[in-house]
Amino acid sequence: MDLAVYDLKRHKGRFIATILGVGLLFTIVLAMNGLYRGNIHEGLATIQATNPDLWVVERYRGGPFNETSTMPEFYHYSVKAIPGVAKASPFIFYTVERQIGDKSRHFSIIGYEVFGGLGGPQKVHAGRNIEQAHYEMVACTKLGLKLGDRVPLGLHTYTVVGLSREAVSPDGEPLVYLSLPDAQEVLFQKDNEEVRNQRERLSRSLARQSSLTPQSAEKLLPGLQPDTHIINAVLVRLRPGADRAEVARLIDKWLYFSVYTTEQETQLMLKGRLAGMTKQLLLFRTLLLIVSVVIIALVIYTFTMEKIRSIAVMKLIGAPNWVIIRMVLEQSMLLTVSAFLFGLVLIHNTYHLFPKTILLVPGDDLVTFIVAVIGGILASILGLSQALKTQPALALGGQ
Amino acid sequence: MEVLRIENLSKVFGAGRLEVQALADVSLSVAAGDLVALLGPSGSGKTTMLLCASLILEPTLGKIIFDGQTIFQKSGWSGGVDIRRIRREKMGFIFQSHNLIPFLTARQNVLFPLSLVGIKGETAHHRVMELLEYMEIADRADYLPALLSGGEQQRVAIARALANNPRLILADEPTASLDTVRGKKVMEMLKKIAKENQSAVIVVTHDVRMIEGFDYVYHLKDGYLDHQVS
Repeated sequence: MDLAVYDLKRHKGRFIATILGVGLLFTIVLAMNGLYRGNIHEGLATIQATNPDLWVVERYRGGPFNETSTMPEFYHYSVKAIPGVAKASPFIFYTVERQIGDKSRHFSIIGYEVFGGLGGPQKVHAGRNIEQAHYEMVACTKLGLKLGDRVPLGLHTYTVVGLSREAVSPDGEPLVYLSLPDAQEVLFQKDNEEVRNQRERLSRSLARQSSLTPQSAEKLLPGLQPDTHIINAVLVRLRPGADRAEVARLIDKWLYFSVYTTEQETQLMLKGRLAGMTKQLLLFRTLLLIVSVVIIALVIYTFTMEKIRSIAVMKLIGAPNWVIIRMVLEQSMLLTVSAFLFGLVLIHNTYHLFPKTILLVPGDDLVTFIVAVIGGILASILGLSQALKTQPALALGGQ
Repeated sequence: MEVLRIENLSKVFGAGRLEVQALADVSLSVAAGDLVALLGPSGSGKTTMLLCASLILEPTLGKIIFDGQTIFQKSGWSGGVDIRRIRREKMGFIFQSHNLIPFLTARQNVLFPLSLVGIKGETAHHRVMELLEYMEIADRADYLPALLSGGEQQRVAIARALANNPRLILADEPTASLDTVRGKKVMEMLKKIAKENQSAVIVVTHDVRMIEGFDYVYHLKDGYLDHQVS
């Protein structure tokens, strides 16, 4: 005889309300799982899609994604000259906020060598890759652009020639691919007023130098303009059979750069930029699971206390303890499992509505389910202890 | 055949200055088919007596023999005796406020003690309906207790107490929540059960109007079994 089900049938309203409430908490827990996976996925997507044999970055920096790394562009020629290197491509990555259409959009830009260089878009699902040196772009579909759209960035207008779904930055922002010179121009090119102001500032600084005449200062000015041929990393493809560690050692020794494999670059991200968010999400998930268990515990405790006289009657007429344990545990399990299923169905039907990527993995759902079931069992302990302490004499009006 | 024998039973609550003698040297014997009334005012020890007889409360001293088996002796339960099993297989309980399980229908309430002893399926269903018909409440079999009147609830409670053909039925003020007419009807049913089922029935009551036709009437006062009237 299933006492738990009969009792829950009598309290249908409260049972359903609790399922909805706890189910929403489970939805958030599952969303957090997905957010965590999405965060890792997006954080590493560009690194793994680019996947060169080596990442060469500014010395002692964990760039280009985990930390800023700047180096002169021409150094890629030096890297290319290292024995064992087949290809060395300059690479630039930065985040901007610009007007696209009538909206201000936050997105990241990757600049790469479009003619055979590394670091370009891996999957273009509509259109094509960039095929000319200037004024073409491949954009993430998240930006809402269409093939052929013309997007003004800085001094020039760029035509969308390709669209990619996977093009997201480590922050989850949509990504735009430009040719390296275009990307450098968008990043460094200033408007005319700013150029004039900068020249004026430099001119005043030089005028303070007593060793310079105004004429010689004027001659020096063009040479002192900031260099815009700056990159963040050099991506290296090795020759077949080349020793990766040896090439890295040579670059490190001769060129004074830091060198990472894609695996090391991934670890830098996981232990650096992504670590904080990962811990935060873990903490949220833990707290929400605890809250869910506490709510289930309180509901089961209330259900049990309402039945305490019936439990005394059951004991008086000889019901063994397992009948009572089963009733309380079964209610707790029904509540936990139903709430979890509600949460699971809800998140699987709504994850695409979240602004950040929610990556749902069956393994995570299973682990959360197991944790929830263990939580449900723990939640019933409070009610169980009360039920088992109940004296059958209570049914006869005794203590 | 003797169903319950209580010999020199005492129960003391508390200790020192707070000590209360709830039962003092009580002896009682009930045979199959006997209808026994325990009378007494509030605080006389009726409920304590009932709790001891139903093997819920451990007496301080004395001896309890149930169905030929010594359950309690001197100052402790006999080893190896499964008291809950005795209660579910050989005892039936009727309460003052009927104490039906509120989330089970009348049918399920009667079925519950049967399920505890492993009687299931058609056999159980047949037995339940037989009892509900016997108690003239079969038409309300699928009603929850809250939808039954006080008298109907008490009849379901009696049916539940009879489910396992108990050797002993213990009834605690079974008519207290009923009017006189319904109360008398319940008592008539208990008499009928005692005679037809050959169950020993002990009824605790303080209402002397209800004990007409009982085989034995015991009077409890301040824990002492004062006298016996046959």
